[in-house]
Amino acid sequence: MKARVFVTLKPSVFDPQGRTIVEALQSMGYGSVQDVRQGKYFELDVAAESADAARSTASEVADKLLANPVIESYRIEVDGDDDS
Amino acid sequence: MKFAVIEFPGSNCDHDAYHATKYVLGQQAEFVWHKETDLRGADVVVLPGGFSYGDYLRTGAIARFSPVMARVCEFAHAGGPVIGICNGFQVLLEVGLLEGALLRNNRLKFLCEHIHVRVEHTDTPFTSGAVAGQVLTLPIAHGEGNFHASPETLAALEVNRQVVFRYCAEDGAQSDAANPNGSAHAIAGVCSVGRNVVGLMPHPERACESMLGSADGRVVLESVINALAATGTA
Repeated sequence: MKARVFVTLKPSVFDPQGRTIVEALQSMGYGSVQDVRQGKYFELDVAAESADAARSTASEVADKLLANPVIESYRIEVDGDDDS
Repeated sequence: MKFAVIEFPGSNCDHDAYHATKYVLGQQAEFVWHKETDLRGADVVVLPGGFSYGDYLRTGAIARFSPVMARVCEFAHAGGPVIGICNGFQVLLEVGLLEGALLRNNRLKFLCEHIHVRVEHTDTPFTSGAVAGQVLTLPIAHGEGNFHASPETLAALEVNRQVVFRYCAEDGAQSDAANPNGSAHAIAGVCSVGRNVVGLMPHPERACESMLGSADGRVVLESVINALAATGTA
């Protein structure tokens, strides 16, 4: 079962890479793009009986390894979820 | 006195730390591979600089799960002196022995230069030989040294006097211009609540001989040698 984990810097954390990207976009003429936040995306292939079990595993590994709670937060999508 | 220099795949200042402790300061030093589970009776643990696991995911994020880190944590919790330099500092933050995180430098550049730090507190095993307010000239070499913590954590670090090193100008004055990477509160290094674990971005081990541009880093390593000798624990 596929679980997708999106890790992003917390809103309070300055993202110099995102800042540089938005400045590049604006210099390219995309003045309508007002901000960019760069994040990380992980696709996990999880051997699990249910979407709930896959979500639980994805959440556990995000807490332990994929995200640093001091600076980052994360969101998970799992195949079979109503919201995915 | 025996120093254990922990080596992770991708460490590249391990030999600098070994050279400084063994050949410059005349102590025993041993490399300890990250898969080992024995610190070999070391009195001091050094987590060296480098790019453990290629900085994959986040700096220090994977190294913190190396088998040896469980021993390092036990050693630290028992009060043993541990110093994390650059990538070693990043590992100490990821494993939770120190509080905060290190972000990409605010101007995105990898910085490789000599800077100045002020010793803020001398009641740690790695600063006991310094004078409060003493300015050290030390090299930095990092892309991710921008110290970050929540406002609550920053306040606690200040109240508990855990900010051990702060970036400053040559005369010790603090300014934005003297803060090379955008670190909150110009923090270059912090210690644990118990004060025995110290992490910093600058490299004292690379500044132990004047022919290398500065010998100011010696005070950091000599502090721990003298501190342990004074207590008779090594």
